[in-house]
Amino acid sequence: MIPEIGHFALALALGLALVQSILPLIGANRGKLLWMRSAKATAIGQLVLVGLAFAALMRSFIVSDFTVYNVAANSHSLKPMLFKVAGTWGSHEGSLLLWTLILTLFGAGVAFFGNNITETLKARTLSVQAWISTGFLSFMLLTSNPFDRIFPPPADGNDLNPLLQDVGLAMHPPLLYLGYVGFSIVFSFAVAALLEGRVDAAWARWVRPWTLAAWTFLTGGIVLGSWWAYYELGWGGWWFWDPVENSSFMPWLLGTALLHSAIVTEKRDSFKSWTILLAILTFSLSLLGTFVVRSGLLTSVHAFAVDPERGLYILFLLTLTIGGSLTLYAWRAPALEAGGVFKPISREAGLLVNNLFLGVATGTVLFGTLYPLFMEAVTGEKISVGAPFFNATFIPLMLPLVLLMGIGPFLSWKRADIPGVWQRLKFVALLSVLLTLLVGYLTRGGPLLAYIAMLLAIWLLMATLKEWAMRIRLFDVPFADAMRRARNLPRAAYGMTLAHSGLAVVMFGMIGSSAWKSEEVRFVTPGTTVAIAGFDVTYEGVERVRGPNYFSDRGTLDVKRDGEQVTVLYPERRFYPIAESSTTESAIRSTLAGDIYASIQEPAADSADESGAWILRILYEPLVFLIWIGSGMLILGGTVSISDRRLRVGAPRRKAAVPTNATPAE
Amino acid sequence: MIFFWMGLSAVIAVVFVILPLIASRGREPEEADDSTPAVLMDQLDEVQRDFDRNLISQAEADAATVEIKRRILAAARKAGPERSTSSSSGRAALLIAAVFVPAFSIGYYTLMGNPDVSSLAYADRQAERAEQQKIQELTDKLFARLQAEPDGGASEGWMLLGQTYYRMGSYSKAVEAFETVAQRDDATSAVFSMLAEALIQAEDGIVTPRAEAAADRAIAMDDGNPAGTFYKAMALEQKGSEFEAHDLLLARLNGADGFAPWMEAFVGLANNIGERIGKEPISLTDFAPAMAAAPGPTQEDVAAAGEMSEADRSDFIRSMVDRLATRLEDEPDDLDGWLRLANAYKVLGETDQAKEALARASTLVAGLSPDDPRRDAVNQAMQELN
Repeated sequence: MIPEIGHFALALALGLALVQSILPLIGANRGKLLWMRSAKATAIGQLVLVGLAFAALMRSFIVSDFTVYNVAANSHSLKPMLFKVAGTWGSHEGSLLLWTLILTLFGAGVAFFGNNITETLKARTLSVQAWISTGFLSFMLLTSNPFDRIFPPPADGNDLNPLLQDVGLAMHPPLLYLGYVGFSIVFSFAVAALLEGRVDAAWARWVRPWTLAAWTFLTGGIVLGSWWAYYELGWGGWWFWDPVENSSFMPWLLGTALLHSAIVTEKRDSFKSWTILLAILTFSLSLLGTFVVRSGLLTSVHAFAVDPERGLYILFLLTLTIGGSLTLYAWRAPALEAGGVFKPISREAGLLVNNLFLGVATGTVLFGTLYPLFMEAVTGEKISVGAPFFNATFIPLMLPLVLLMGIGPFLSWKRADIPGVWQRLKFVALLSVLLTLLVGYLTRGGPLLAYIAMLLAIWLLMATLKEWAMRIRLFDVPFADAMRRARNLPRAAYGMTLAHSGLAVVMFGMIGSSAWKSEEVRFVTPGTTVAIAGFDVTYEGVERVRGPNYFSDRGTLDVKRDGEQVTVLYPERRFYPIAESSTTESAIRSTLAGDIYASIQEPAADSADESGAWILRILYEPLVFLIWIGSGMLILGGTVSISDRRLRVGAPRRKAAVPTNATPAE
Repeated sequence: MIFFWMGLSAVIAVVFVILPLIASRGREPEEADDSTPAVLMDQLDEVQRDFDRNLISQAEADAATVEIKRRILAAARKAGPERSTSSSSGRAALLIAAVFVPAFSIGYYTLMGNPDVSSLAYADRQAERAEQQKIQELTDKLFARLQAEPDGGASEGWMLLGQTYYRMGSYSKAVEAFETVAQRDDATSAVFSMLAEALIQAEDGIVTPRAEAAADRAIAMDDGNPAGTFYKAMALEQKGSEFEAHDLLLARLNGADGFAPWMEAFVGLANNIGERIGKEPISLTDFAPAMAAAPGPTQEDVAAAGEMSEADRSDFIRSMVDRLATRLEDEPDDLDGWLRLANAYKVLGETDQAKEALARASTLVAGLSPDDPRRDAVNQAMQELN
């Protein structure tokens, strides 16, 4: 009964979405307040009903109701409860439902908190939002119903891929979707602004917290995915330029551009049309990311063709959304008033160049991701575009951007004076060069690119810190005075400082773990010692241990340095009997200086099995932990920035009645 | 019960549609202020702060201030009285929407929903699992007893054990049981064809040389055993000798006199193979004119069918099936009828409709006692279709 109520609730939600996509829009055009107001109620109604459907599906997973086909296919009675719950969004159908739930959550957020935007803009925004939910709800109900039933139910479920039975991965899709879908609100605002024909400072300021929130969630989602790949896949890498990763990275890159462009629109009334275009494109890439992954298009063009109904619907929705919004843009954007003018050397110009670099970088990634698909569709030949392509094209685009990131915050709006900026930065530049030389002395050898990147990362960190120091006039005024200034600095400024220096820290990790990584792969028998990066790792043997729904071969590795015990590592090879598949659980010892990363694999030959030999893979990755720390700083930067009081200023006094924790996107 | 909850959720949806009507009653809603000037005022403060902090020069601060003030003026000018009609107009549209939403959803749900399929939590299926557990224990006991017997256990016992294992899906155990009998002198053709079947199932449908050998033995012992021929044909098909497989199936069908249940499977496989090698599809009626003697065609019908052309005949079969389907709409409790209909659809290759008929059958099965054989029949047919 409960799954059927969920199913019915989805149909009701689609009904509401249909009403909401038409009525408020016409209301806004004809000045009918009642119709405009209806958007608020229907948006919240959609959330309630989709939430009901989601709860119904989750309950089916929790109690293992195998009369629901989706549960039977993706769960198992023996699965740990956490993963039963996470199974709700583990499948194609479930993840669409989660997507839609988040979509309606954001829609209801606008409806609920959007008291400080004009009635017409709000009505139009919510209408556009309802178009998107109409698309998703109908896609779900017509081609991917999460409540399909099966009777009589199978005796037990089919389990979830054990590789995916991981806390990191359980949380990965929700975060990613919060990011993707967050951009839908920004998209709706952009389209609504085009319909309205008005983009001003208030619009930009209203858009910013949503962009920031989406960006922060997306960052979190990407980092979590990368972290999962690092410790679960057993390869010791954190980024593989895999199409799935790329499709989440592209909206991130453009979203970053959007974030910066929106500042210019708010502060300088400029870049209006550019901001709108970025908002449209960012969401288009989010859609592309969701759909391309969901349609199976990535595995192969043929996998897409296997289920043409789904594939065609996706294609239709994509064409409609992207084509429609870009047509609207082409038609309406020229009518937007031009804003403030600026000189070639100014913060606006700096941000423009930043936008261009990010845009081109996105294009590069898009090309590398889609090119193999086009090739396969046209010539039938399967090719893959891997890390070498991206390293050769993406990195050279990013390095000048990092150089610029150091300078940008020192430029003033409208026109900046280069000598003044150089005056402030010359010591930073000198210090960076000296520190890079020190790194060169310590590492003694490595690729030139690594040193260039290191120089730029140090430069970025130093320049960002210098900018902060300047703002609080550290060393200029008494220390206590400077601290008082530091406390009074707007949170958005701290957000910038945290995010920019976070990126520098991430870069340290990336450079260290790519350029100065050591790796050993050996056949080992108990007693074998492998020397790596100054450590002596002794393989003690493998024992069989049991877990809740798996059993595992657990290796014991004794790690010593200069004869002194450092740690003991237990890499595992797990076997899940119900799913009949294995996973690698690598053992990692993390320090700031670097990670020792060990994984074991079954011996290839039976003869080796008898002798007790296993394949041991040990990596030493210097500084890799800094990637996670830096990513944390990026996320923290986003969060701090959202909490800035000024983002709530829209209607500063009117909202006094609303408790502060009820502000949008916080 | 279920309709009460559905009704409630529909009411919730309707309330959300007409909420603005309720909310607007009795008061004229206030206008939201345009917040642009507020944002710009805030920017003025910011310029002042930056100047205080020595981030920008006096000239820069002045220029910025002037510009922002100009924008405030511009915004104030633009915020003209573009205002709405009274809030009460347009009530009708909301009322129409309030009717549309439930009507649309009920319409959709009538087509796509399964209100009569109940939900079954895993924990509530103890009885079902206990049943399976009991069968498991019984088979284990039977196995132990057969093994303990000095003469190696009765062949009938081993066959029963093998069939039970097969039905439980433990194909490799079934193979073991059948094999025990196959090695004996009293092994019949049926023993070998069952062995072949279990071997093929154990390999997920792949006919291994071992399975083919078993099928060969089954034919050698009794060439009238259709199962042996069937698995032999599968073996030939998988080896790439499709023509040979097709011929073998047809030869066996032609050699049969009168309808037998196994013929459907033969026709299905022959048409499957035939499609790939470009043979005309064959129909059950070519070989079994007396098919479906039960509630349907009379002797005259069948005689008429024998004289029809290919196209007419398939129309004829279709009309028979349709008649059955119509009858079942009036007598939806006829479980056997649904099973027959599902079977007919399956033979016609209309899997979706076959599934639908089976779904109807399975709702009826739910009310039967757990050891009713028709339960298994529905389950098995379901599995074959999926």
